[in-house]
Amino acid sequence: MQANSLVLDHVSKHFTQPNNGAALQVLDDIALNIAPGEFISIVGASGCGKSTLLRLILGLESEFEGQILLGGRAIRGTGLERGIVFQDHRLFPWLNVRDNIAVGLKNSPLASAAKQQVVREHLALVGLERFAEAYPHQISGGMAQRVAIARGLVNRPSVLLLDEPFGALDALTRARLQNELQRIWAQENITMVLVTHDVEEAVFLGDRVVVMQPNPGRIKRIVDVGLPHPRQRSDARLVALRDDVLGDFLDA
Amino acid sequence: MSRANSATWLRQQRWAWPTWPARGLARSLPWLLPLALFTTWAVGAQQGWVSPQVLPAPAYVYDTLKDLAISGDLWANTSASLQRVLLGYALGTSLGLVLGGLMGLSRAAEAYLLPSFNALVQIPVLGWLPFALLLFGIGEPLKYALIAHAALVPVTLGTLQAFRQAPVKWLEVGRAYGFSRRQLVTGVVLPAALPTLFTALRLGFTKAWLSLVVVELVASSEGLGYLIVYGRQLFQLDLVMAAVVVVGAIGYLIDRGFDALERRLGAWRPV
Repeated sequence: MQANSLVLDHVSKHFTQPNNGAALQVLDDIALNIAPGEFISIVGASGCGKSTLLRLILGLESEFEGQILLGGRAIRGTGLERGIVFQDHRLFPWLNVRDNIAVGLKNSPLASAAKQQVVREHLALVGLERFAEAYPHQISGGMAQRVAIARGLVNRPSVLLLDEPFGALDALTRARLQNELQRIWAQENITMVLVTHDVEEAVFLGDRVVVMQPNPGRIKRIVDVGLPHPRQRSDARLVALRDDVLGDFLDA
Repeated sequence: MSRANSATWLRQQRWAWPTWPARGLARSLPWLLPLALFTTWAVGAQQGWVSPQVLPAPAYVYDTLKDLAISGDLWANTSASLQRVLLGYALGTSLGLVLGGLMGLSRAAEAYLLPSFNALVQIPVLGWLPFALLLFGIGEPLKYALIAHAALVPVTLGTLQAFRQAPVKWLEVGRAYGFSRRQLVTGVVLPAALPTLFTALRLGFTKAWLSLVVVELVASSEGLGYLIVYGRQLFQLDLVMAAVVVVGAIGYLIDRGFDALERRLGAWRPV
């Protein structure tokens, strides 16, 4: 399983500002080893570069310093071994739920019968078998985000990247989906990297919580949660950790 | 009452469209205006507000329409017009889709073509007419060319806009799942463009249909526009009115057809 570890090897990133051509550093020397099957939460205020970091891992942006290694090999561009769930579900409105999940399989080597089978399994995984024919505008935001999770997982990637996946949902739906994500993660046994600004969410789900700070975006500290899954929200140790991490932001 | 408050009060009291509780009545609302216009026409003709040579009575126009239908003139002229508009529209739309698609997908093509295109479209169809008459003669090619030109402009600009607006957020999804450039175009850009594209095709048809009548007014020996000119020359305003009614009805029906088709194709869109 060592083959699937994700290594961020001193990653830095600069943007060129369009108005004056000056370089703006958004990520500074991010070093992180993520074990296979680990759940990593990255938490930080807006502007700390956490979403940029996720885009680098996804391969949407290829210009950065340092290296990102998956299974010992440097990533080049996007790849089916890395799935993504964006904050806005980004389902294609012209496809129904089933076909939206199948989008992930468009370039998969599977035969078409096998693809259909995999899509059915993932519909079941997120509990949306009855909504296979529905279009995105016909389902709720929480359901749409579950479809997006199914689309991200349908290739059985070794890493699932989640960019503030529940940020746009109401509190009740968010809590339910966090539980569901925890269940799916345990069931699928894959690495998950969750970017969020919700400290409680980061602590509740993560094996480790990476706390980032802005200007330029860098790791402030890494908190080991060290509690077994599945977890209870009300667990006193979780609450204490949450307050501890929240303290990082309130001090600043 | 303060000034601000009285302004608010005024806004709340502003005149609103009357609302009726019955749903059947609501459905009849679109018919009220046409009905009122028709009544004004009928009453005006009957009371002789305008001389009957200028404004023939509805019954007289109806008789003329019936005579045209029975003699076969109506069908001959309508089919001549429909043929022209369909061929001209097909020409203009095809060229518009290619041109707009090219500029929409390639920044370089846009840089080469769009400024000239934008300058040329400012010239109205009638402005081209003297030149087009010399170039194409007075026969059918002239009509095809001018109708095609009328459809070309909205279709080209609409296609360009439709392809341009392909949202980055969906393109990124495609890239994340390894879409090739071709897959991005067929799987993301094209479906995302479809609603805008359809509006452009619809607008293109309206323009083509309008210019058809103009072109036939200028130079033709058959067609609905020709009926209008012919009626005017003979001072038979009933003939003019009959042709106007047919032109309006056909244009309206085709537009409804586009609407129905759009609803069927766009089932995925929230209404």
